[in-house]
Parts: sequence; structure tokens; C-alpha cells
Amino acid sequence: MKTLIQAELYKLMHQRMTYFALAAILVIEGIVLVSAYFQGSAILDILLDNLRESFYFQGTLLNGHLMVYLILNSLWFHLPLILMIVSAGLFTTEHKERTLQMMMQQPISKTHFIISKYLVAVVFSLVVIVLLMVSSMMISYSLFGTGDLVVYLGTLNFFQSAEAFERIVLAYLCGSLTVIFFSVVSVTLAIWVRDTTIAWIVSAFFLIISNLLLKVDLGIDWFDNYFFVKLNDTWQLLFNTEIDWSHIYFNNALLVTYTVLFMFIGVMIFRRRDVA
Amino acid sequence: MLPQWMCAQDIDPVLLQAKARLDSVQSFEAGLKLSVDISFVNMSPKQATMTYTKGEPTTFSSEDFVLIPKRGLDFSLSEIFEYPFMTVDRGYEVIFGRPCKLLNIIPLDKRADFSIATLGVDTVNYSVMKSEISTKKDGTYEVLLSYGQSNDIIPGRVEVSFEIERIRIPLQYMGKEIEVDKSAMKMEEVKRGRIILDIEPALVELVK
Repeated sequence: MKTLIQAELYKLMHQRMTYFALAAILVIEGIVLVSAYFQGSAILDILLDNLRESFYFQGTLLNGHLMVYLILNSLWFHLPLILMIVSAGLFTTEHKERTLQMMMQQPISKTHFIISKYLVAVVFSLVVIVLLMVSSMMISYSLFGTGDLVVYLGTLNFFQSAEAFERIVLAYLCGSLTVIFFSVVSVTLAIWVRDTTIAWIVSAFFLIISNLLLKVDLGIDWFDNYFFVKLNDTWQLLFNTEIDWSHIYFNNALLVTYTVLFMFIGVMIFRRRDVA
Repeated sequence: MLPQWMCAQDIDPVLLQAKARLDSVQSFEAGLKLSVDISFVNMSPKQATMTYTKGEPTTFSSEDFVLIPKRGLDFSLSEIFEYPFMTVDRGYEVIFGRPCKLLNIIPLDKRADFSIATLGVDTVNYSVMKSEISTKKDGTYEVLLSYGQSNDIIPGRVEVSFEIERIRIPLQYMGKEIEVDKSAMKMEEVKRGRIILDIEPALVELVK
């Protein structure tokens, strides 16, 4: 199993698509950061308009924490999309190049083989999240410094700098579960459809539908609270003044369960399919 | 030296005593703890430093982002005393355990920024304990002042209450969608907010 994972990591590190994906993520991050700077100023104007009538403001809210928070808000579509393309490619490339058939003629377990692909997709997603977190913080804090963070979630929630930093780090950790979920789903979809282009289209479709449904409340308890699409913005709960930890733990545990379920479905499909 | 119009008989002597007492402060520097009490704002108490020098705008500094009330920190009552006015005796009231005279201040000059003000002035120490000022542009605000020692000139705590409109932000702005109760929003368009300042004067310089 260890050898299989190492082999998958080696393949991932030696395919051009991986580096194109990383470059794309960093370019998107740069664009989001620039737009966040200009958007941030407008957002603060709207948010603080009422308060401006009664108060003078001492200090600035247009700082690195706000930039990182806006990046956090913006990347939960672009990032999974790129990671889904790379993760799906872990399987479809092998299928397209017929190395999959060669591998299956070797004395290796089909289950171990496909699980190693899932694990590499998970590891790659985590590495990208950490890269994104570190780079967004380094750029934002070095250019804009730190300070209080203001977030609007029905009320204006102000967090002092140290607390804002803690919550942002936790939000990235929490958000990484969402990204991992989509990566795992894309591998499962790739196993199901096999063809590279179709796998990308289906993965993108899945992501778009998930994002659309996230904003829809049907008034049905299981859908609004327990359906996987509704768990993808759990990280936002970390920006309520009082953190509802039990809600966050529950949502994350449920999302991990869905992730394992999708992985299980992928393994089952692969095991039953005559690849050789 | 008071302007000539301030020496007129239609200004209550208790107010003139209070004004003279406030004018005795040449400058002061104080540490502030600011606590915001507005229904749609969640902000932990903040620390700041306040520097007052007579005749100059009061300045504030802080390492954090702080909200400084535009009204209520005018310890010299310069806004009220800027243009001619008359006072009307409204009786007495006990405020924070001190006997206070209530006075209506009615401006006699159209340039005044307020239409009417009510002051509660301690009749023993001549400290301003309460003010309610109806401004022409910014609604009505109330200020309650309490003092550590009865003869302190600088209050130990100031509570400023003011009218504030509810925040209106497009849905999906800055994060998760917000459920909107339109009828509740209509009812709550204008709310009262409050900011509490705990003041610790570090350096007070009086006029010699």
C-alpha cells in the first residue's frame, strides 16, 4: 500500500497538469487579492455607513485579515474546481494511456490501488490548502498589515487581530474538509465515467449544482441541515461571535462520512469493473 | 472670560457655575475603555487613549479599531455655549444620588446645531450629570455622566445613547445568506444604540 501511494505521488509530481493547476491557483489568488483590495474598501463603506453617522473611526479595517477573509470567501468554487480536475486526472489519465490495464495485470490489490489514488487526492488537496493559506497570509499581512476584522453575518462582528487570525486558520482547516470532499467525489466520478473530458464536465457540473443548492432552503429538515451540499460552508460558522462548536463538529463529522461514502462507492465500482 | 450674552439674566447661574468649572480644565489625558451596545454590532470592549486640550479638537489613539462617538464627549459643552441661548428651569431630579437642577437650553441663534437641550446639573458640585440634546441633523442623543469622587471634574463613566438606523446590506454580501424578516426590519429601522466609556484620567492640568 505504501509503495502504491509513493508511486501515485510520484506520478502526480511528474505530470505537467499538477504544476499548471498550482500556477492557476496562485494566479487566481493574486487576482482575488487585487479585487479584494478594491472590493474591500467598497464593502467597508457599505457596512459602516450607518455607524459613520454616529462615530468617528480610529484605526483601519482594510487590513490583511480582511483580505484573507475575502480570499476565503472567493475561493470555495475555483479551488475545488481545479483540484477536481487534477484529482479526476489521477484516474482518467491512466485509463486513457492504458497504464491502468497494465497495472491490473500486476499482483496488486484493486482496492489498495484505487484507495491509494484517493489518498493522494486527499494529500494533494491538503497541500494546496496549506499553500494557499500560507501564501494568502504572507502576501496580505506583508502588504496590508494586521488589525481588527469585521464580518457581516446578520450582525457586524468585530474580532481583534489575534482572535481574527485564529478564526481564519480554523476556517481554512474546516474548509479543507470541503475541498477534500470535492476531490474525492471527482475521483469517484472519474472511476464511473472513465473518459477524461466527461469526468471534468461531470465534476464541474457536480460542483456547480452543489454551489447552487447551497443557497437554496427548501424548508425540509434533512435537506437544509444534513444534505452534503449544505455542509460546504460550515467554516462560516467560525465567524459568529459565539462559536457553536457542536454544530461545527457535527457538520464536519457528517461531511467526512459523506466523503468516506463517496470513496466507498468509487472503490465498489472499480472492484466490480473488469479493467484488464 | 464669558461672552457678554452669557451674562444675561436669562441664563441660570447653576449652568454658569458648571461652565466655569468645566473651563477650569486646561488639558487632560485619559485611558478609555469603550463598550459598544448596539443590537447589530458585536464588538468586545476596546482600550484607547484620549487627549483633550482646551480650544483644540479632542484626539484619540488606540492599537485596535475603535468607535469614537461623535457626540457626548464634548466635556466643555462648547456646542451649547457657541451661540446665544436662554435657559428654562425644569425643576429638580436626583441623578446618581445627587440633587440636580434640570434646565432646558433654547438656542436664540439659528446657526446653533441643536434645537433644544436638557441638562441636569449637580447643585452642590456643579457637575453636569445628564444631557439630552436634540440636534438639527443627527437626531437626539442622551449622555449620562457619573463621577468617581463628588468633586471630580472629569467623569469616570460616560454613557452616550443615540439613534441609529438598522444596517441594510444586500443579501449574500460578505458570506452566508441572511434570512430577512421584512416586517421586523421595518419596525426596527431606527434603533437606539449606546456606548459606554470608562475613563481613567492620568493627567489633568487645570487653569492657574
